[in-house]
Amino acid sequence: MSTIGNPILEGKYAASMDLWPLEARQFNRIYEFYDNLRAGRFTTTRCKRCQHVDYPPRVICSECYSDELEYIDLPVKGKVISFTEQARGVPLGFEPAPLIHAWIDLGKDSPVKRLLSRIHNCPAGSLKEDDDVQLIVFDIPAHPMEVGKETKTMERVFFGFEPIKKD
Amino acid sequence: MNDRRACIIAAGVSDFGVRQAHIVDLFQEASKRCFDDIPGLKPKDVDGLIVATSLAGRSCCQTNIAPLIAERLGLKPTSFCTRVDTLCASGNSGILIAKALVESGMAEVVMVTGGEKLHMPQRWETFYSQLTTSEHDWDCAQGMGLPPPFFALHAKEHMKHYGTTKEQLAAVSITNYDFGYTNPIAQQKKKLTMEETLSATPIAPPLTLYDCCPVTDGAAAVIITSEKRAKELSSRPLVYMRGGSQVSIHSNSANWPGEHLGDWPHLKLAAQKAYKNAGVSPDDIDVANIHDCFSISEIIEVEEFGFCKKGEGGPYVASGQIKLGGKVPTNTDGGLLSCGHPFGATGIRQGAEILRQLQGRAAFQVKDAKIGLAHNLSGLCAEHTVVIYGREPVK
Repeated sequence: MSTIGNPILEGKYAASMDLWPLEARQFNRIYEFYDNLRAGRFTTTRCKRCQHVDYPPRVICSECYSDELEYIDLPVKGKVISFTEQARGVPLGFEPAPLIHAWIDLGKDSPVKRLLSRIHNCPAGSLKEDDDVQLIVFDIPAHPMEVGKETKTMERVFFGFEPIKKD
Repeated sequence: MNDRRACIIAAGVSDFGVRQAHIVDLFQEASKRCFDDIPGLKPKDVDGLIVATSLAGRSCCQTNIAPLIAERLGLKPTSFCTRVDTLCASGNSGILIAKALVESGMAEVVMVTGGEKLHMPQRWETFYSQLTTSEHDWDCAQGMGLPPPFFALHAKEHMKHYGTTKEQLAAVSITNYDFGYTNPIAQQKKKLTMEETLSATPIAPPLTLYDCCPVTDGAAAVIITSEKRAKELSSRPLVYMRGGSQVSIHSNSANWPGEHLGDWPHLKLAAQKAYKNAGVSPDDIDVANIHDCFSISEIIEVEEFGFCKKGEGGPYVASGQIKLGGKVPTNTDGGLLSCGHPFGATGIRQGAEILRQLQGRAAFQVKDAKIGLAHNLSGLCAEHTVVIYGREPVK
């Protein structure tokens, strides 16, 4: 946290300025999604009662309102439907430009058909429509959290996609 | 009961742009212009206030802003006082709520005012705060802050499926800048040429600088009251709020409802619902103010509103159907592209232009305009909000 102009925040963590989710179980009930990501799995919730799949994961089923849900795996490979390389207005934390955004097809058999993702590890000008991409899980900055009288460091991960290298 | 039909009777819009002002100052500017628009109305007559703003809590560190704005405007609302936030549609959300308040009898004279102060002391924060405007933990955490990249994908998909061209995108920007050129409140007061538009700085290909609305500070205000009170307060032609709709059937990009990104079925649904409860059809719309946050959005919107066939939005805009004398003159005050887009103010600025059009006092007047339409999208094109106004009430 920058303290320029606001020295009282020296050494403080401001979650309200954090661009990443609070993934610790103290702050959400879908922490299993992040635990699964750490294991390299891209998952979401399915209702045990009606089999409906929701994405992003929930704590209740959006169809029947059951709270008996289970985590299922989603495809970790997809295909680029469309993409753009953002040149201007790239937010802090996603620099340098270009920031590559893609609309990804996860396949007709996936309960989640398409999603928006950043494309990592991809030189500018190299991505093409119909390129194959795969899930990538990476570390994001840990944050401090007060637990009782202690301050713990909460490790975090997040996900995106990257091109599958062609042989 | 019929004399409780809601009418819009006055409007005021602050100067839009990079403003040397606090958000509270901007609300005062807009409200002064609104009261100046209707000399018979005094602040003490207003018993309801709706404040539309999305980022005040973030950019100005001010949550619970409605009582503060009421006090600074010298209002003492005794029927209703609240803030609304649906990002880009906050203003039109407030207008629809005001209609319901007036028609239910819960309030008599409601001011709907909206505004934002988006430009910050350091530029990074303006862009960074946009990471809170869609789903922070999901789409925004992928770097989707300011929306040009998302609408660039819409443009590419529309080009792929319907053959839309960059020249057709540019036609929207050129037309809307022509309308905004003489608008005293507009942020972008210039005319564009096709060559200049096509060769402008790339933002997120295929979108360039003039395909995108600017980041804007500003505020706007309107007064909504019952037909009975409107007749007492205003000597101008009455403008009725005939109907509207708000459709929100998804939020996360992964749940996009269309076959592809050039297909906006949720807007088509919002249009159909608004047409039905306003008792009109697309052919009845004389003037429209629709959400041109990007040139491509206006092209898709004219299709989903039924002003032209699906997929023909490009040729429709390029053939001048959005200009004065065209099928539906659109964004006749310059729209978001020229005026700019202070989220909470935008729907109210649109209402102000439709009010002027239907009262015959617009700068670019559509001859004998009787039915006007305003529209916002918000989030990652997730929610659509429509308001339809008319010189006559629904029969």
